[in-house]
Amino acid sequence: MMPIWTKSGEKHAVTLLKVQDCHVLRYVSKEESGGKTAKLLVGGKNVSPFSKPESAHEIFKEAGVPRKQKVTTFNVTDDAIIKPGTPLYAAHFRPGQFVDVTAKTIGKGFQGVMKRWGFKGQPASHGQTKTHRRPGAISTNKAAKVYRGKKMPGKMGNIYRTSYGLKVWRINTKHDIIYVNGSVPGHTNCLVKVRDSKLPTYKDCNKNPPFPTFFADGDEELPEDLFDEEIFQFTDPSVTFA
Amino acid sequence: RVSSDGKPPKFQPPPKPVIIDKKTQKEDKRFLSPEFIPPRGRTDPLKYYIERKDMIQRRKVFNIPEFYVGSVLAVTTADPYASNKSTRFVGICIQRGGKGLGATFVLRNVIEDQGVEICYDLYSPRIQAIEVLKLEKRLDENLLYLRDALPEYSTFDVNMKPVPPVDHHEEIPVNKLQVRMKPKPWSKRWERPKYNIKGIKFELPEHKMKAAQKWSQPWLEFDMLREYDTSKIEKKIRKELSEELGK
Repeated sequence: MMPIWTKSGEKHAVTLLKVQDCHVLRYVSKEESGGKTAKLLVGGKNVSPFSKPESAHEIFKEAGVPRKQKVTTFNVTDDAIIKPGTPLYAAHFRPGQFVDVTAKTIGKGFQGVMKRWGFKGQPASHGQTKTHRRPGAISTNKAAKVYRGKKMPGKMGNIYRTSYGLKVWRINTKHDIIYVNGSVPGHTNCLVKVRDSKLPTYKDCNKNPPFPTFFADGDEELPEDLFDEEIFQFTDPSVTFA
Repeated sequence: RVSSDGKPPKFQPPPKPVIIDKKTQKEDKRFLSPEFIPPRGRTDPLKYYIERKDMIQRRKVFNIPEFYVGSVLAVTTADPYASNKSTRFVGICIQRGGKGLGATFVLRNVIEDQGVEICYDLYSPRIQAIEVLKLEKRLDENLLYLRDALPEYSTFDVNMKPVPPVDHHEEIPVNKLQVRMKPKPWSKRWERPKYNIKGIKFELPEHKMKAAQKWSQPWLEFDMLREYDTSKIEKKIRKELSEELGK
């Protein structure tokens, strides 16, 4: 995470996400998947092919791509279908766009009810016998049962969570890095899924994004760094208020 | 030589010649701002490389002078609510924290009997000028104990003239000032060995100083897992900096 300053001098914290060897693996049509839209399977981060059996390599062999560590699905409209085997780059996103980031949260192991659910526990002194971090009562008398989904101690973390509506501040096309506002679930160097935001406020936010994606062998020559309009560039002199 | 048993004295091999390369030693001692050295961790070095590019870019446009904890600085920042749209603050640097672009430094001064500490971001675009009024080092890495010292040690004249540095380019003067403290209670127990403070003149009774040594952890300096050898990383960073900024 890094600080970033706007032209008016405000500081925002930014997370860096690297797009590492992402390829489109397979196209699944609407009828095949049984959903509302077509799906594209995308894989990221090359990994050695020797730790999995040959049967698991079929998808990668069809696309002509080394084995990937993670395969995710994206729901895609029919005009945004990409041929399997095309690489995806960070330039697929543009600064000023809004993005949802999904990842597995940091695993905390088996945790008690105070850390996992934020219960208040019991006082430390004044006669409490062996009860300081326990849940206390778990149901009422009339219910005569414990409801399903009762908050109790258990394994915490290591589940998929999404942060919605994160602004993309800057894109580095040379190293394929996306600078995304705020924090993102997961530990450092973990695998993360970045998707156009589905929040209703940001539905019409994308002004001319590369559609269906940014092709490296195309005619466009992008500069090494793409900035949002509001970012303070370090090549400019210090900010002064008029 | 006088031999003890009449046998010839034991063969002592000649001492190995120690080659001191003055050029590399000079380069190693030159000042490298502490926020360039990456912390020990599992982050990709690419992240630190990219951050360094941004830091170098800022340094090309705006001059961030060499300063240490204990030097007196004057910082002019852009302020939308001030009359001249800029504020000037003079103070002694008590602490330099943070790594990379988020590096900060805290300046302390006592203005009209009120102690004021301001924490500035080194790379913030709102800073318009940083002048070093007095370049010197102190006996400690951070001077947070000045909060509990007598106010005379933290007062600096706002209209102080910059003191020109003495001509020794390699040696920065170390101010061996021992500061007198206000009566206890202090904000932290500065006499305890974990803070390892050398810049306070402790006027506490002997038995209290001895009792504070109870919390000493003499095994810490031998702990090999805590060692972080930055010499190679520093060399690389120094080379990169001199190439980019030396032009």
